[in-house]
Amino acid sequence: MQLAVNIAVLAAIYALVSCGYVLIYRTSRVLSLAHGELMMLGAYGLFTTASLFSGHPLLAIGMSAVLALVVGVLVYALLMRRMAGEAVLAAVLTTIALGILLRGAIILFWSAQEQHPLRALGFSNPPIAIGSARISAVSLVLILVTAFVYAGLYAFLRFTAWGIRMRAAGQNPLLAAQRGIGLHGIYALAWGLATLTGGIAGMLIACDSSLHQTMVIIGLKAFPAALVGGLDSLLGALVGSLVVSAAEVLLIHYVDPLLSDVVPFFVLLAMLVVRPWGLFGTREELDRV
Amino acid sequence: MKRWLLLFLLSASPALAQEAYVLGLSGALTGPNASVYAPVVEGIKLYVDTLNARGGVNGRKVNLLIQDNSGEPSKAAADVKRFLTQDNVAMVINTSLSSTYAPIIAETKRARVPLLFAGAVCPKEVYPPADELQFCTTAFTPGYDSRMALTAIQEMAKGPVRIGFAAMAIPIARAEMEYAAGLARQKGMTPVETQISPPPAPDYMPFATKLKDANPNWVFSWSPWVSQVKTFEALRRLGWQGNYITIAHIPAEEELVRLKDPGFIVYGTNALFQDNQPGHRDIREAAKNAKLSYSVEQMAEGWIAGIAIEQALKNAGWPVTPEKLVASMNNLKVDLKGLREGGLEWTKDNHFRARQSYRVYRWDSSKNAIVRLRDWTEVK
Repeated sequence: MQLAVNIAVLAAIYALVSCGYVLIYRTSRVLSLAHGELMMLGAYGLFTTASLFSGHPLLAIGMSAVLALVVGVLVYALLMRRMAGEAVLAAVLTTIALGILLRGAIILFWSAQEQHPLRALGFSNPPIAIGSARISAVSLVLILVTAFVYAGLYAFLRFTAWGIRMRAAGQNPLLAAQRGIGLHGIYALAWGLATLTGGIAGMLIACDSSLHQTMVIIGLKAFPAALVGGLDSLLGALVGSLVVSAAEVLLIHYVDPLLSDVVPFFVLLAMLVVRPWGLFGTREELDRV
Repeated sequence: MKRWLLLFLLSASPALAQEAYVLGLSGALTGPNASVYAPVVEGIKLYVDTLNARGGVNGRKVNLLIQDNSGEPSKAAADVKRFLTQDNVAMVINTSLSSTYAPIIAETKRARVPLLFAGAVCPKEVYPPADELQFCTTAFTPGYDSRMALTAIQEMAKGPVRIGFAAMAIPIARAEMEYAAGLARQKGMTPVETQISPPPAPDYMPFATKLKDANPNWVFSWSPWVSQVKTFEALRRLGWQGNYITIAHIPAEEELVRLKDPGFIVYGTNALFQDNQPGHRDIREAAKNAKLSYSVEQMAEGWIAGIAIEQALKNAGWPVTPEKLVASMNNLKVDLKGLREGGLEWTKDNHFRARQSYRVYRWDSSKNAIVRLRDWTEVK
């Protein structure tokens, strides 16, 4: 039972992070390698708002979510928009540069000191019993938030005008533009939503354990989950996260904990050999990569 | 960071360099492990700034050049080459990961300049018979730390000890856990499980689950702080009720207060600030006028290195050469004003310290304060 809970928590972490990779890729065909840093920035945003609005945790959480959304939109408006029309590789390299810049800026503003946003918010993180297993309160929230985010994204992309425009822009940007869809607005929204979901993941991870600059590596570990599922599929990101986390937790428990770092990449390699476009991806999308 | 950059730019002036003692520090100010090393660098800088405000050493200012190596060997190599070929430093200081040691040691040996490990784990070359150029002020050290932890467990345990080990997946920590497991067997304890977690893990529960399933009543961890404390917190969330002993790295004092768990026991060579020794009061006084990025409780390790550096320069006189500095460091004895037991003493044969003693602390819920479980205990 405890193993199932551990798998669910890790899958929720990977799923929440990896949906940002998918949102940006399926909309703009750009692989954001600054996603881990943007996730970490979201967590530092929460720490800052928790300190600024001491005693008002809901306001602090709301403000940090808005900040994450705005940061994502700004990243597109100020940086990635200029990459429109350039080679995909140039855009990817731009995100790498952005990541390096953000890492340096975070140390400059917040130092390398480990922080505890949950304490700053005034909340505690007691364990909760689920049958014979235990889960921390924040981990439970993380699972629920992940389910809510995926359900919300499904509804948004399926039933709202902006969501349908976003899908159209992802499928055929030229045709979408000819039909009057403002691509820059769609791309900015995709970056905003991706940074928001990544930021929420960062906030929840930081609340569950602590906020530390090594968090950026967690962002990278979620990347194989997105690829295993198929980089253009949100459902794929969810299933990929489950597959990767199950392999990781089971191998930690039954084989060797040292395998935990390599398992996601081993699963990815196996997937690339058997089905290079991922579980729910399409061949056409792979050709574009 | 800005102040360090400014200091670096100012120190590049040849006129200033000629009139001051010039030292080069290569440290992990950024990168995944910066939280372990950056406070030490800030502590050394705090001491040097205070020293210069007092007039310096032998009437000369101390010009501390600081470079960030991010814990990367290639950057550390570039730093030390620059220090030795452009800045003509009298001493190189390393405050970084053990992976940076090889290039720094190689370059300082070639130039025959003394190398001080400050806040970076002491290499075995500083133990007797010591390498002629390598010295260490760092509190934590392999071998000694495990011996102390197991001695403390043996005395605190009320029955048979089933011991688990937790470490980060870095070579030095894994080797230390293997050593500790062997030592535990010799002491009649039963090692039940060793969990090695990567740096960092998104969730420590999978690692803690396996550790808890082995049913230890004690767990010993010797690793970077983040790994030590997160494994402990994950164990508690799983309902584990045993005792957890771990080396008191730089954030230990603040973390004891945050966790408020009597089963979380830390031990270390540096006295905690709650002991309020004269050395702690000196640090607090110096910190009043400094804009620190880290809390004053994290300054002791760097401050101790600063005391040793001052004494070494003082004895070496002016003008200083690496040879004179090595001779001075080979015969060094400083009073650390209660920050450690017995001060710091180096001889030609021993560049570690003459005595290695530890204090053991934990949180006491009834007193709502940190309490000392054991006073200074020497480990041979």
